[in-house]
Amino acid sequence: MSILVNENTKLIIQGITGREGTFHAEQMLQYGTKVVAGVSPGKGGQTICGIPVFDTVREAKEATDADATILFVPAKYTSDGVKEAIDAGVELIITIAEHVPVKDMMEIYHLSKRKNCKVIGPNSFGIISPGKSKAGFMAHKIFSEGSVGVMSRSATNCYETVSMMTKNNIGQSTCIGVGGDMIPGSTFVELLPLLEADPQTKAVVIIGEIGGNEEELAAEYIKNNMTKPVVALIAGKNAPKGKSMGHAGAIVSADGTGSAENKEMLLKQAGVHIAESTEHIVSILKEIM
Amino acid sequence: MKFMEYQARETFAKYNIPVMNGVVIDSVSQVKEKIKDLKFPLVVKAQVQVGGRGKAGGIQFADNVDDVIRISDKLLFTEIKGHKINKLMIVEKANGIKECYLSIILDRQTKCPMIIFSAEGGIDIEETAVKSPDSIIKVKIDPAIGVQGYMVQYIINKSGISKNIAPSLLEVIKQLYKLFLDYDALLMEINPLLICEDNTLIALDGKIDIDDSALYRQPIVKEYRDELQEEELILEARKFRFLYIPIEEKGNIAVISNGSGMLMSSIDLISKANMTVGAALDLGGGATADRIKEAVRIVLSNEDIKYLYINIFGGITRCNEVAQGVKEAMEIQPKGKCVVVRLEGTNKEEGVNILNSSNLDIVSVDGLVDGVKALAERGAV
Repeated sequence: MSILVNENTKLIIQGITGREGTFHAEQMLQYGTKVVAGVSPGKGGQTICGIPVFDTVREAKEATDADATILFVPAKYTSDGVKEAIDAGVELIITIAEHVPVKDMMEIYHLSKRKNCKVIGPNSFGIISPGKSKAGFMAHKIFSEGSVGVMSRSATNCYETVSMMTKNNIGQSTCIGVGGDMIPGSTFVELLPLLEADPQTKAVVIIGEIGGNEEELAAEYIKNNMTKPVVALIAGKNAPKGKSMGHAGAIVSADGTGSAENKEMLLKQAGVHIAESTEHIVSILKEIM
Repeated sequence: MKFMEYQARETFAKYNIPVMNGVVIDSVSQVKEKIKDLKFPLVVKAQVQVGGRGKAGGIQFADNVDDVIRISDKLLFTEIKGHKINKLMIVEKANGIKECYLSIILDRQTKCPMIIFSAEGGIDIEETAVKSPDSIIKVKIDPAIGVQGYMVQYIINKSGISKNIAPSLLEVIKQLYKLFLDYDALLMEINPLLICEDNTLIALDGKIDIDDSALYRQPIVKEYRDELQEEELILEARKFRFLYIPIEEKGNIAVISNGSGMLMSSIDLISKANMTVGAALDLGGGATADRIKEAVRIVLSNEDIKYLYINIFGGITRCNEVAQGVKEAMEIQPKGKCVVVRLEGTNKEEGVNILNSSNLDIVSVDGLVDGVKALAERGAV
């Protein structure tokens, strides 16, 4: 099983003719992802790495019946690209760009809920179900197939954790970069039910950060609904207050909203194992699995 | 990006939110000419972005021109809590009956803009929120609905302020919301919002915070940014598309990483080992040797920094590029700074080889935790 993407996922790459788009199209194909179409306005009719290119997402979807799309387009065009994909009826939309204006994400967030589709990111490395498929730019060598579902706001912390998991023979079912922005398209709490329901997933790792309340909402859900063990790390305990730590979302306000202490306390109360460092995540997993 | 008070006042005025008559000066010689149309008494306000400005003497009242000149001369180009006063705002003193608080923020919980109102304004709103949470009224604005009259009705009923101000409050909130959207804001705050005897409202002070990711489509805001006083190293880092973050004043360790998650993890581990981080720099993804060299130079130009921890998990970022950049930077650095480098990921071995064969005092470690240990062993605190 796994969640969101698997060996049958038919993926569109929006922005496939760009430098990053082309490079990662090849990487994803090599990994085994079924990349069925590319989209690049005005460049329809070409093929890239054997992938047919269309002018619009709608044409790409009509021709291939794709069920997911990933956008390799700059931040300022992300909003247009996502709206096009939503309008074309694509169910899963993955956005990787950094620095997407939060107002654009506010619109997209509410639009996607109304249209019943899932947006992952932005500021995300994408999604990988190791051994099956990847939709993203992650260095896939460090991932290995297994039974731990991983969700992370940070790419680097996720890489660090996953590479140590792999070295210790703990594989992953699906790893999702929810992204480091203030408004992510999908939050931990929206993805937890999928991991809970997935038969391949036996445990869940949440790599959170200071700022926002996504971890707090996750804690409430876990407390009431999760049967699988959950391990969580909250990065940024020692970050200065009132300063964004590079991730737009990682900011603790002067009154302490979004602090690591509060998140850890609520997660702990929900029965989550709190890890002090990425290394600690792995030692906890070894104990509980 | 946060506005200065005079920038916020200017912005409010553009959107017909009432503000007091006033001027901005950056030299005492301008005072006489600039204030000639203003009515005394006046308030002279130091333009610095730091809390507790009033208590530190940054806000003073003047009854005549000589007063203004004397106060301006005393304040201009001095410092408040380390922030230099380059500009003064001089405004007419307001007369009102009550000071309230009004803001529109981006609420991360509902993913919507949210109106926050309190009849108790003028003071620290965070304190009020803790002491009497009921006095803070919150109203979510569904972007598809916008600001409506019933929201103001609700605010008036819940806060107990006079219903006579409903029309002017609705107007101010509508304009503030328009500003919020037009300017890609994260925060539009008026505090205090003064209620006058004739039921009109005046914005006496304001805070505006703009989404940095949207600056490319906000030319006016970009101009404002050039007028802000930012730390030299932040500006220098920005030239190379790096993010420089000052952490603890007394810290003598700096951290460089290729992502903010890793940066935060590194700072957490160092702090947990009872050492203090003074500054952090986020390279972002894909930095080349040339840019790494600049990053190292920028961080080490801070004289308080004695130790540098470079922690890289390279995906798009290549370790050999990092190593080359560090090596080139250290070749021209004066001695006396200790550099610990942890490389992992793409081209790791090449990178480690470059470091090990460099004959420079660079400590290469294998693993995030080992790097922290190396800092401690070399005397970092």
